[in-house]
Amino acid sequence: MSDNGEPLVTFEDLAVSYGLVQALSGVSGAFRSGPTGLLGPNGAGKTTLLKTLLGFLTPDRGKLSAFGLDPVRQPLEVRRRLGYMPEQDCHVAGMTAAAFVAFAGELSGLPRDEAISRAHEVLYYVGLGEARYRNVETYSTGMKQRVKLAQALVHDPDLLLLDEPTNGLDPEGREEMLTLVHDIATKRGMSLILCSHLLRDVERVCENVIVFNQGKVAKAGKVRELTGTRRQVFDVRFKGDGAAVLTDLKDLGADWREGEDGVRLFLPEGHGPETIFRLARECGVQVRHLRPGAETLEDVFLRALGHEIQS
Amino acid sequence: MPIYDQGYRRYEARGPLHRIRFWPITREALRLILARRAFLGLLAPPLGVFLFYVGRAYVVTRFPEVGRVLPSDGRMFGEFLDIQVFFAVLLSIFGASGLVANDLRTGAILVYLSRPLTRRDYVLGKLGVPIALNLAVTLVPGLLLYGACLALAPEQFAKWELWWIGPAVVAHSIAASLVVSLVVLALSSLSRSARVAGLAFAGIYLGLDMVRAILQHGFNLKAAVLLSLQADLQALGVALFGVVDRQLDIFWGWPLLVLAVVALGCLAVLRSRVRAVEIVT
Repeated sequence: MSDNGEPLVTFEDLAVSYGLVQALSGVSGAFRSGPTGLLGPNGAGKTTLLKTLLGFLTPDRGKLSAFGLDPVRQPLEVRRRLGYMPEQDCHVAGMTAAAFVAFAGELSGLPRDEAISRAHEVLYYVGLGEARYRNVETYSTGMKQRVKLAQALVHDPDLLLLDEPTNGLDPEGREEMLTLVHDIATKRGMSLILCSHLLRDVERVCENVIVFNQGKVAKAGKVRELTGTRRQVFDVRFKGDGAAVLTDLKDLGADWREGEDGVRLFLPEGHGPETIFRLARECGVQVRHLRPGAETLEDVFLRALGHEIQS
Repeated sequence: MPIYDQGYRRYEARGPLHRIRFWPITREALRLILARRAFLGLLAPPLGVFLFYVGRAYVVTRFPEVGRVLPSDGRMFGEFLDIQVFFAVLLSIFGASGLVANDLRTGAILVYLSRPLTRRDYVLGKLGVPIALNLAVTLVPGLLLYGACLALAPEQFAKWELWWIGPAVVAHSIAASLVVSLVVLALSSLSRSARVAGLAFAGIYLGLDMVRAILQHGFNLKAAVLLSLQADLQALGVALFGVVDRQLDIFWGWPLLVLAVVALGCLAVLRSRVRAVEIVT
């Protein structure tokens, strides 16, 4: 289990650009031990941060430290302690899973015998034990995702970077992958960064989360704290002129957005369901459905991105 | 699929990184290529040519009158290597054109670059494959042939005037292997398809030589030799082994310069392409 002690990775006033395009503009933060989620829409700067951490990109300014090392000056030492599972497919053409994962281990600095031994163990661990002598090109999407995870794990990294690990998986495969990632983080005590746009994945696995938006850190903290019940949340469906009720609620300081189950209302402190019923009665609107809920990471995410409030 | 609780253990025995970090890349790529039976078939013709030349050396040394028709000095090695370079090109097309292209297609390049490897390690590891294949059909049989000649007719070949044959074989083999390898690898990095890269290499190698032939025969343009990679390599062989070839009658420094520029250009392409993958992918 994580100890949340010294941060594994710290970045301070980090700025990275691709030519004239500023991908990260002066971000600061830290990845501590344990599972951390990296959230943000496309182009937010998540992958840029991972690439800078891997030493692919050189920051324009700021400090970046991984395990006390500088990824720009000591990229090899940093990379050997990182395990990277890219978003897109990756395998060596013509190789079986066992050969591929052993090869990845060897490239990470493991002796050949140890790499072969660990490749078999890791492939069993990710559930590919029976299929490990098959060519990776014949694998299904779910199996390829598992092989990617296995190659990232084979050298037992101190920090695992998972870039959209549930990409392209069906619900069952996604659940299995998340179970696996959760197991890695909790039972195996490995720290990981889960980069995803699927908020439920992050919510399911991570203790901490950093939300990126437009090259800046929009929100950071513990998932529990961010998704706590600081605000009262209700999923409501109205019959009649619901907009009038929502306008009145907004005057009281409430926020709302369209949710999966009607309207999701965020009421300020001191207000509860009685306020909703009272205003609905005053507007001549019927409340057909009201269910209390907790603020999800999706709400936090959207709030951080400034998309929550709808007028 | 279940998670096996006993299937994962922490690994705490990290040692220092290998100095020759590119070696596993070369080794595994060679293993994959040599596992293809069809590819092994490609190794048969250069072996056959080698055996033919050993036989020829035997005949020439045993029956000196045959030497009037067939040269048995440095020129024989020049002819031999000229043929072997053609096989080296074939091996490169079928064995090496997918080295980077396949990595780009399957995303494997990120597996390499996210490891404790530099981009130079990656390029060296990949470059080692065609160089090994090319040297296997040029340098190795060239030296073996030289050894065979020395063994069969020491009185003929172990002469002070012919000391240069060994170094010339080494120089020509290395130059040809290096240039052919760099070109095929650079073309491989420009495509995600091994076939496209292979066809492009064949097109450049044979096509430019056709252009050279047209310019030489049609317009009597001697400098056209410099256009063709094949002719440049042959011109180098002509200079090294003293083969008489009127079509390639040009100062050896020019083809050498062209080959050097091509090699540097290929290195620049490789550097740029591998760097682009890190940024863009």
